[in-house]
Amino acid sequence: MAQVPVQTIHRDPQLFYWILFPITIVMVLTGILRHYATVLMASAPKKLDQKTMREQRGLVHGINVRGNFHTLSKRSFNARRDALITAYESGAYLKDPENQGQPPPNPLSDPGSMEGMMGMMKNQMAMIIPNTLIMSWINAFFSGYVIMKLPFPLTIKFKSMLQAGVATKDMDPRWMSSISWYFLCIFGLQSVFNFILGNDNAANQMAQQMGQMGPQTAQMFGPGVDPNKQFLAEAENLAVIDHYSVLDNVEDRLLKSIRV
Amino acid sequence: MSSEIELQIAPIVQESLMHNSRTFQNLQSLTASLFGVSAGILGLESYSGFLFYIIFSLLTSVLFYIIRVAPTSISSGKKPLDTSRYFLGAVDFWTGGLMNGLAGFILTWTLFYGLVSA
Repeated sequence: MAQVPVQTIHRDPQLFYWILFPITIVMVLTGILRHYATVLMASAPKKLDQKTMREQRGLVHGINVRGNFHTLSKRSFNARRDALITAYESGAYLKDPENQGQPPPNPLSDPGSMEGMMGMMKNQMAMIIPNTLIMSWINAFFSGYVIMKLPFPLTIKFKSMLQAGVATKDMDPRWMSSISWYFLCIFGLQSVFNFILGNDNAANQMAQQMGQMGPQTAQMFGPGVDPNKQFLAEAENLAVIDHYSVLDNVEDRLLKSIRV
Repeated sequence: MSSEIELQIAPIVQESLMHNSRTFQNLQSLTASLFGVSAGILGLESYSGFLFYIIFSLLTSVLFYIIRVAPTSISSGKKPLDTSRYFLGAVDFWTGGLMNGLAGFILTWTLFYGLVSA
């Protein structure tokens, strides 16, 4: 069995001080900067006028009654349900009752929704700009250096990714260049940020992208949603509830639990 | 229907559950980085390194169970190795940390392997 000789490459130990540590430190500091930039740029929720607030809270009230009906007695649940359904169907909570039945306004023309989009744009920018800058910084200064050896073997396919800028044909794909250290940092620094900044930090863009992939939370009061339709649907939801209370048969359960 | 009623009689508080799992995840990602440091210093390569990681992250879960979960969970009448008093999903508790900390482990493993043995 022919043993493939282990490749050794003699590298200047100064590579660690001038490439590895600068990249790592810059990555950590960018993460911290990104976290604080996100905190600073987060726009405070806009103050709503009284009518809008009443519309939203009216709907939330209905949803809460629907979700927690089991803690109410039958009588008080019925009273709440009847009051809510009448109010919903008559449109008593609507912001502007004369708009009932008209198509919702174009969300692009509403200034309130523009602000939300601006916030999203800002977040995207805070992610994209540092990444491009660091990528081009590493490419400009550090491309072409082999700095480290991965502790586990990889197939030949990874060669073009890990050794970008190092055009050596027979080198083991375990050797990696500075740009691949950058990618390792992107994926692996989340635990460091957890340690420095606390758990719900905005430092790592990978984690944020994962979050965006996840199920989108339904926009309840977003632009383009007809509140009247929401009210009518909620009235229907309330009407079909088959009421029971957690206190039904509680005396039986008590007796069962104390029987010896 | 009956299980729904049971849940309403003894409700589960989402916030506490999230706090529990978040604390556990924090511990896992932190220890994964430290395992990477030790694997790199020991100079482990390929399979032995990943084996090291799997064994020690499972050990973390077991220790977490023994020290933090077991005392109150067993005295409240749960079976041994049952984490349902504090966590939803047993598989998630025992093996969730493996995926959670893998990236951090590889990063510190590579770094210290490069620093020590290269």
